[in-house]
Amino acid sequence: MIFRLAWRNLWRNTRRTLITLAAVGLNTAVLITSYALMDGLWKQIVSNATNLVTGEAQIHAPEYLVHRSIYNSLENPKKIMTALENQGIGAAARSYDYGLLAHESKSAGAQFWGVDPNREREVFGLADNMFQGRFLPEQPQHGIVLGKKLARSLNVSVGSEIVVVVQAADGSLGNDLYTVTGILKTVGESIDRNAAILHQADFQTLFVSEGRIHEIALNARGRLPLEDLAQAAVRAGPEAEVKTWRQLMPALSDIVNLLDVTIWIFLLIFFLAAGLGVMNTMLMATFERIREFGIIKALGAGPWRILGDVAVEALWLGLVASALGALLGLAGAYYLQEIGLDTSAFAADYTVAGVAFDPLWRADLTLKAAGVPVIVMWLVCVLASLYPAFMAARLDPVRAIQHV
Amino acid sequence: MNRRVAAIAGAGWIICLAVVLGFSLPSSAQDQALSAQEILDKVDDLYRGESSHGKMSMTIVTAHWTRTLRLEFWNKGKDKSLIRILAPEKEAGTATLRVGNEIWNYLPKVNRVIKLPSSMMSASWMGSHFTNNDLVKESRFTEDYTFEKGFEGAREGVQVIEIDCRPKPEAAVVWGRVAVAVRQGDYLPLESKYYDEDLNLARTMTFSRIQEMTGRTMPTVMTVVPADKPEEKTVVDYEEIAFDLDLSDEVFSLRQLKK
Repeated sequence: MIFRLAWRNLWRNTRRTLITLAAVGLNTAVLITSYALMDGLWKQIVSNATNLVTGEAQIHAPEYLVHRSIYNSLENPKKIMTALENQGIGAAARSYDYGLLAHESKSAGAQFWGVDPNREREVFGLADNMFQGRFLPEQPQHGIVLGKKLARSLNVSVGSEIVVVVQAADGSLGNDLYTVTGILKTVGESIDRNAAILHQADFQTLFVSEGRIHEIALNARGRLPLEDLAQAAVRAGPEAEVKTWRQLMPALSDIVNLLDVTIWIFLLIFFLAAGLGVMNTMLMATFERIREFGIIKALGAGPWRILGDVAVEALWLGLVASALGALLGLAGAYYLQEIGLDTSAFAADYTVAGVAFDPLWRADLTLKAAGVPVIVMWLVCVLASLYPAFMAARLDPVRAIQHV
Repeated sequence: MNRRVAAIAGAGWIICLAVVLGFSLPSSAQDQALSAQEILDKVDDLYRGESSHGKMSMTIVTAHWTRTLRLEFWNKGKDKSLIRILAPEKEAGTATLRVGNEIWNYLPKVNRVIKLPSSMMSASWMGSHFTNNDLVKESRFTEDYTFEKGFEGAREGVQVIEIDCRPKPEAAVVWGRVAVAVRQGDYLPLESKYYDEDLNLARTMTFSRIQEMTGRTMPTVMTVVPADKPEEKTVVDYEEIAFDLDLSDEVFSLRQLKK
């Protein structure tokens, strides 16, 4: 009864209601969109950092990261890989060591990677991150993929022949000719300058390092909480050392934490601005009706009745407005999620904490991004209307009627 | 980070050892009043401007492997040296040429000559405990360091003179201090200790098996032990050496390197 009354009451003054509706609705839409954009920024930075090559967690032999010695390899990489596979976690095994590359009169030191091209393609994005040429083929064919700056300093392009000189694990001199199959896009300073990626089989021949795996990188693409992923990794390799991306990239982790705080401050400001706007509209709309409340009171309605009426009206208004706003906001956020904002006009090829950043800024639409603004706006609507209603309810009917 | 990168570079440490440490001091060094500078200069003068050619074996012991290389070397003057690996088979024919501050390597397996980048200067030579810098930097040893006599007297029953080498302030050097101990009388080197820029001991080189070779009395075995890995070492054992040969500059050319 009271709900139907409130609903009818709303449409008594169509213009006022429509203005309020528009204000609340638009604010809700803007909040949903900006919330989704901010969430997208956060997620994008993390996934850029992890999806490409690092992964969300890594498994190494204890102390490997301190000295990065070719001898300090994982005890039982096959067992760890099988265990991860059984848990449905994508993983790629890699070997590393240092050596020398030369092309004509140029030469440079490099960090060699031995990778399984199929695994890298399945689990990580590096293979799709090519500036020129293609990633390594499935079979070992003496192909090599280079970081962008390394390729530039050697003055090579796709198809160039490169001399590779390394000290093998047995102390002997490993040297051979490799053909550049591809050059990576900007990834991050250390990969750009140092990475020389080989097929694992080629790597093990060159370095005489049969079976030596130094790193297993895990990527669940955000499906698992980081703690759960780390625990799964520990279960797979109990004698190994497990580190999450936050430990592997502490600078980035700090930046992401800082960004998190920044995002919350921004959202708080957005919410405040939108909330105050809605509150203003609701206040004005309710103050306008003080005379009406005076008459109702004079007719015998108690203060609680007035308060209840106004609250239910605001509830209705908020419901309709935030529903419309949510539709609009969801559409906007969905558009930004699918199409994204192209920021490349402002910055090309930039990196955050040594990780290349995609200039296409995409929103990330979650239940939270849609729900929080709706609930907040609804609450603001009701609270903002209660204050003038409370004032009106307390007023002497005669004075309320004379209120202009 | 890439300390153990295989940079097959300098044969030059062979020269530098000889130069710095009085390797080929003749028995004529009877002048007891020589200053530190004079002792090293004498070695220097004696060695430089001359040439040498010989064969040696180098045994490298690390925590993970032990191997022995047989090497043939040619030196001329202060700046030129060539070293070629004779054995083992996998590396046979591999050669390193140094002219001045530049180092080239020839790799027979791929039939290519590559120039060593400056970033590889502190890398190990063939996995040994010598670096490429040992070659390039120490050919300038007398220019970059000042010398002073230190302790003189008996040490483990041998009368020794210690010479303290300190870098000149403006010199770009690898070692913060080098302490050389030579035998009194014939100035044959016994031991030298290399300290890093923080003056921590980095490695110790000892000289042994003093014997006559081509008319000169000299220690024919050198052992290098890195201070941070006392269980590792590199042992150089001279098999034959000839001095004052007529070597043409052509020997030290890139063309010759490939042969």
